[in-house]
Amino acid sequence: MNVIKMFPVVIILLLLLTAFGLPIVKKKKIVFQISLATIFIAFVMSGVTLNYVTQVGDYLLRIGPYDIPWGITFRIGYIEALMAMLFTGVSLMVGWYGVYSIHKDIEEKHIKYYYLLLHILLASLLGIVFTNDLFNGYVFVEATTLSSCGLIIIKNNKSTSKATFKYLIMSVLGSGLLLMGIAFLYAVTGHLNIGEVHRELVKVAAEKHNIVVISLSLLLVGLGVKGAMFPLHTWLPDAHSSAPSTSSALLSSLVLKAPVVFLIKIMYQVYGLDIIHTTPIFTILLILGLAGMILGSIFAINQKEIKRVIAYSTVAQMGYIFFGMGLGTEMGLMVSLFHVFAHALTKAMLFLCVGSMMEQSGYKYKDEFRGIGKEMPVTLGAFTLGALSMVGIPIFPGFISKWYYSIATINAGQYIFLGFILVSSLLNAVYYFPIVINGYFGKDNVKGKIYRAKYKPVKEVLPLAVLAIAMVMISGYSSTLLEYFKFGLNLK
Amino acid sequence: MSGVGLLLPVVVPMLAAVAVPFLLNKGKKIIRWFIIGVVFFNLLINWITIHSLNTRMFHIWKLNTFIDIFLKVDELGIMFSFLVSILWIFTTFYAIGYMDHEEHQERFFAFFIMTLGITNGIAYSGNLFTLYIFYEFLTLATYPLVIHAETEEALHSGRKYLIYSLGGATFILLGMILLYTLTFDLSFVEGGLASLKHIDKKQLMLMIYITIFLGFGVKAALVPFHSWLAAAMVAPTPVSALLHAVAVVKSGVFALLRLCYYVFGAEVVERIEGNLYISFLILTTILLGSLLALHQDNLKKRLAYSTISQLGYILLGIVIINQNALIGGILHLINHAVIKITLFFCVGAIYIATKKKYIHEIRGIGREMPVIMWCFAIASFSLIGIPPSNGFVSKWYLALGGLGANKAIFAVLLMLSAFLTAGYLLPIVVTAFFQSPDQEEEETLVVSRYMTAPIVILTGVIVFLGLFPNTIIRYIEGIVSKLI
Repeated sequence: MNVIKMFPVVIILLLLLTAFGLPIVKKKKIVFQISLATIFIAFVMSGVTLNYVTQVGDYLLRIGPYDIPWGITFRIGYIEALMAMLFTGVSLMVGWYGVYSIHKDIEEKHIKYYYLLLHILLASLLGIVFTNDLFNGYVFVEATTLSSCGLIIIKNNKSTSKATFKYLIMSVLGSGLLLMGIAFLYAVTGHLNIGEVHRELVKVAAEKHNIVVISLSLLLVGLGVKGAMFPLHTWLPDAHSSAPSTSSALLSSLVLKAPVVFLIKIMYQVYGLDIIHTTPIFTILLILGLAGMILGSIFAINQKEIKRVIAYSTVAQMGYIFFGMGLGTEMGLMVSLFHVFAHALTKAMLFLCVGSMMEQSGYKYKDEFRGIGKEMPVTLGAFTLGALSMVGIPIFPGFISKWYYSIATINAGQYIFLGFILVSSLLNAVYYFPIVINGYFGKDNVKGKIYRAKYKPVKEVLPLAVLAIAMVMISGYSSTLLEYFKFGLNLK
Repeated sequence: MSGVGLLLPVVVPMLAAVAVPFLLNKGKKIIRWFIIGVVFFNLLINWITIHSLNTRMFHIWKLNTFIDIFLKVDELGIMFSFLVSILWIFTTFYAIGYMDHEEHQERFFAFFIMTLGITNGIAYSGNLFTLYIFYEFLTLATYPLVIHAETEEALHSGRKYLIYSLGGATFILLGMILLYTLTFDLSFVEGGLASLKHIDKKQLMLMIYITIFLGFGVKAALVPFHSWLAAAMVAPTPVSALLHAVAVVKSGVFALLRLCYYVFGAEVVERIEGNLYISFLILTTILLGSLLALHQDNLKKRLAYSTISQLGYILLGIVIINQNALIGGILHLINHAVIKITLFFCVGAIYIATKKKYIHEIRGIGREMPVIMWCFAIASFSLIGIPPSNGFVSKWYLALGGLGANKAIFAVLLMLSAFLTAGYLLPIVVTAFFQSPDQEEEETLVVSRYMTAPIVILTGVIVFLGLFPNTIIRYIEGIVSKLI
């Protein structure tokens, strides 16, 4: 049996095994080394898998001794391999950054548990992406929710407790709806394996139209809560802003994305374009996506705490992704997947920058960060790059997304939404640019600040730099990525 | 890789800009000489680029047919980049004199030289997409220059600048995307890319034309998007002179030239009647600019509104769609740049020497700063259009063009504007020379040579171009004959 084919399973097992091994380790340094080494290996293995897929095509991987339709299978294709690389890569950077900063947010003795949770989170995120079985996906989604709650509450204070509680309640409700949706599908098709469900569903879709709509709606709302789709996003600002910076980075960039990728897979591989077009689901996605795009940014403008600004920005960016899905075309999906990539890298970097600035200065409110550019020029510089990408300045991935979304919108014949896309990018400027401008410029802002006073040592800033470089490289590779997504979707 | 030399005019200034922070510890003098070296080098590179035959086109990055960034050399681009490169040299010397006592010189010169690279990029853009990218970068690179003083007022003006510019860029993007879905290509082609076969979608074409025109029009200070220009006068004078009389606003005009003649093409513009709608805005711009200029007591603001009005002339020359008018328009692009930069330089010199910003303050200053004020006077006469100055030549062509298009109203308008121009420029000259100062100071004020020399040389150029305009006119005729 080809060893490379097993890699996805190996990654997940490796992450889980090391996770449970971490609590026994005594020294903090060893914890970091084991964790980072593991995630790095996972990243490399994902890269090898991607290479394998480009040569051989996508394949099914049987987990355990039982065949379809009783056993669980993984389906590894372009999208899965790329997402695996993204998740492991970003986790690696965040974990690396955490080595230097996590002790500022949580107690020393909890650090190994933090990395334990990180491993479990990463493993379950990968599981969601790889799995070809609906219930298996549900299990992984639950694992994701629980581990991310852990990653928030591990910073023990009142605001995290409140935020986690809110997140937990809403998320569990979402999971419940997800389970119900899956149950409906099982009821009409008798299967849980995605391929099998699709086969049966196509046969019964016409007569069981109501079930189709109900189950799809339940899935949409359930996964929508997890993906912070408007108006189910209300848990996000509290959770992302009170959590430790590394957790915020992971939450915004990865935890929101895996459920959405799962939703995309379900929509296209379980139901299929034709069936969904008989329902109003695409229209709903479009409208809610647009609402998220615009309102997310508008809410961000009014925020006082800097982390909440960025959290609401995430809501807006997820709006783009749902919008792309709602277009109902192949191109819309391709761009949304690309945007998953672009946003993951950019947002992780932004949160790490902000975390860095908050640690060094002790400030929390965006107005307090005036003049920080003089004290921490490189960190704010990376933040500026991220901000430029969010606004959609050319050569950054945000622009590529904006451009392709526009073309996809026109191709789908929905000219009127062009304006929303363009206005939304401009709105981003309203809340991002002042942070940058007040950071670097302004006589009153810069008075009394000493150049590089709060500068972090180079090794601590490296993860940020790597993410920034990766972000710019994504633009360069955007056409390759889009092509890969097209192959991966493989829509007939 | 053939054509990679084309990258040099764009990249070298940008690399130089990045190098400046590293020269910080070598001292201000080294930075100055470095910048001087770079601007001369830039002129040299431009010269070499246009003369070496195999660097005609270079694809920086071709993603697919949508996203294709490429540079191309053609006559119009050469003309613009040369104009800009030469004026940049003058401004460098002037800036060295002016910024002598200012803070943050390294930051100033870094972004200053970066803007040169970006403007070269605009000049040599081979398609609308590339132009758009460099256009966005232009806004970002000039922002730190505008807010240089970092006062409350400067930040406020900077914010206005950003809002207008980014808003305009969004319009351009919108129009560009729509255009792409029609033509599947955004390259600049002499005579127009959009051929008559698209004419059946007249409404859409008209909408695209107006959208992109307004988008670029923001930078060209077209009414009603003009107020950022007056606000931007808060910047140091070298910035106002070069960027807001030459590089930034002329980039806007240049982009509009590309839009009308290289993307849409003269015939198409006439057919969709795009020029008709836009000409209303342009006429308003010309008149409003002049009228508002009359009101201003602040010297720089008066010149800013004058720029708005003069840009209107150039735009008029572009949209009349007539050979003489276009020649006049392009000629005025060059002439106005030279004149306006001289005027700004003079005003800046007055500020440095006396700290005076307002007209009522500079009574009798002609006696204390004769050289500067004489140059100001000569430049003013040129802008009004009194022969034998270069301003006269361009206005002559514009008038000819207007008459040629059977629209006598344009010629009348030009006359009216000439009166208004005299109305807002001559009082300055009169106040400086013929009114007695508040305090009796007869000594001549000393102004740094770095500032005086460019002023005098440029004034000489103004007179020279007025007496011997033919070389340039021939060159422009060569360009225009392929467009209309």
